[in-house]
Amino acid sequence: MIKVEQLSKKFGELTVLKEINIEIKKGEIISIIGPSGTGKSTFLRCLNLLEKPSGGKIFIDEVDIMDTKNDLNHLRQKMGMVFQNFNLFEHLSVIDNLTIGPIKLLNKDKKEAVAKARELLQLVGLAAKEDAFPDELSGGQQQRVAIARCLSMEPEIILFDEPTSALDPTMVSEVLGVIRRLASNGMTMAIVTHEMKFARDVSTRVLYMDEGIIYEEGTPEQIFDHPQKEKTISFIRRIRNFSYHIADNLYDFYDLRAGIENFANKHFFGPKEINNLNLAVEETLQLCFVEGNAAERNRIIRDHGGIEIMLSFAEQTRAISLSFAADEALGTILNPVEETDGLSRIILSGITEQLEETLSDGKVMVTMTLK
Amino acid sequence: MEVKIEIIEGCTLVKIAGRLDTATAGEFEKAIAPILEGTMQHVILDCADFTYISSSGLRLFLVLQKSALAKGGKLSIRDMSAEIKSIFDMTGFSSLFTFEQSNV
Repeated sequence: MIKVEQLSKKFGELTVLKEINIEIKKGEIISIIGPSGTGKSTFLRCLNLLEKPSGGKIFIDEVDIMDTKNDLNHLRQKMGMVFQNFNLFEHLSVIDNLTIGPIKLLNKDKKEAVAKARELLQLVGLAAKEDAFPDELSGGQQQRVAIARCLSMEPEIILFDEPTSALDPTMVSEVLGVIRRLASNGMTMAIVTHEMKFARDVSTRVLYMDEGIIYEEGTPEQIFDHPQKEKTISFIRRIRNFSYHIADNLYDFYDLRAGIENFANKHFFGPKEINNLNLAVEETLQLCFVEGNAAERNRIIRDHGGIEIMLSFAEQTRAISLSFAADEALGTILNPVEETDGLSRIILSGITEQLEETLSDGKVMVTMTLK
Repeated sequence: MEVKIEIIEGCTLVKIAGRLDTATAGEFEKAIAPILEGTMQHVILDCADFTYISSSGLRLFLVLQKSALAKGGKLSIRDMSAEIKSIFDMTGFSSLFTFEQSNV
């Protein structure tokens, strides 16, 4: 369906895409993942010539769209695009946003265009909003209108450029839900996304882009569970884990909490999971730093490299695990003090399925899995 | 976290909003110091907008409770969410306090 050969893109001296080769077949759902600034969006924009490639060839159904002899507009109509910031026509109602393209570019009559638009609004769950204007809709609703508008042009493939990254976290799932529905209907799609669980669930193939090339590609299982190349391994590890270093008791509590909550939101943790996660970290650090001979313990922690916290999330089982590691000189992290009320320990036992402290390889380590 | 203290019909009403954790416990302790030092017997903790408590906060609730009891009064916790109440249940604190719902 789409074949890309030796595609490159330069902005001045900066090479953003380096000789990319790929073939996208009908019915494929391709997620494009990778760190920011590695050419993912540029690649998508080059595919439908919103950015003019510096070199290479792009074929749609064997027709070279970079050949000026071919009808570019006709070829472009085969490819719809959904943008990060919706790009709706603000002065037009929802129904007019959906009908203007088919009437003006596909020569549909108004009645037919309106009927199709209503069908599409039904598909994206916004049948009741046809007379609304974009600024009367939430971000999630606007993006769903944008998807419906894209479908109104009857594309053969849809390119999604980070369709949820401008949305409030509460609205991400409604948009992903619509894209999942398109996927189950067999629509061919290429999606630049930071939503890893979504990419894993919905894709038939995942492209990991880094340094302007398709660095590694494979099935979701290959890329997410068994990445082979160094940068992919490091990226996948980073998105599954959150690590934080604490030097001593003067650590930045708010920064730590923000990091935890950012990670939790990225993986759609519920309010109870977030609360328990915050409690697990706070109560462990309470036992470690506050109870017992706090000054001496703090000195040991500071002089022996601090504490490493690692938060991990297993997408398959939704298990949330935490570990805390310190030098063995500290003896214990879950400091058992006799003359204490034991509250922190009771809370930890109440919110964890598994909680243990071990001593090995010169480290004292606490591991826990949350309920 | 935000704490507002009002005297209503002979009771001290403490409205606590937001989070009571390691970072905000000191601020809460400071806010309730006049209550601990004063003579008011009946204290109501309005928890309608209270979102999170850790052991640091539980300890301060207990301090307030002890202070009220020592003056022959009592401490009531009003409109606490089920999520926060679960921490009280987990730690056995539920049996130490009186919980109530406002009529609003």
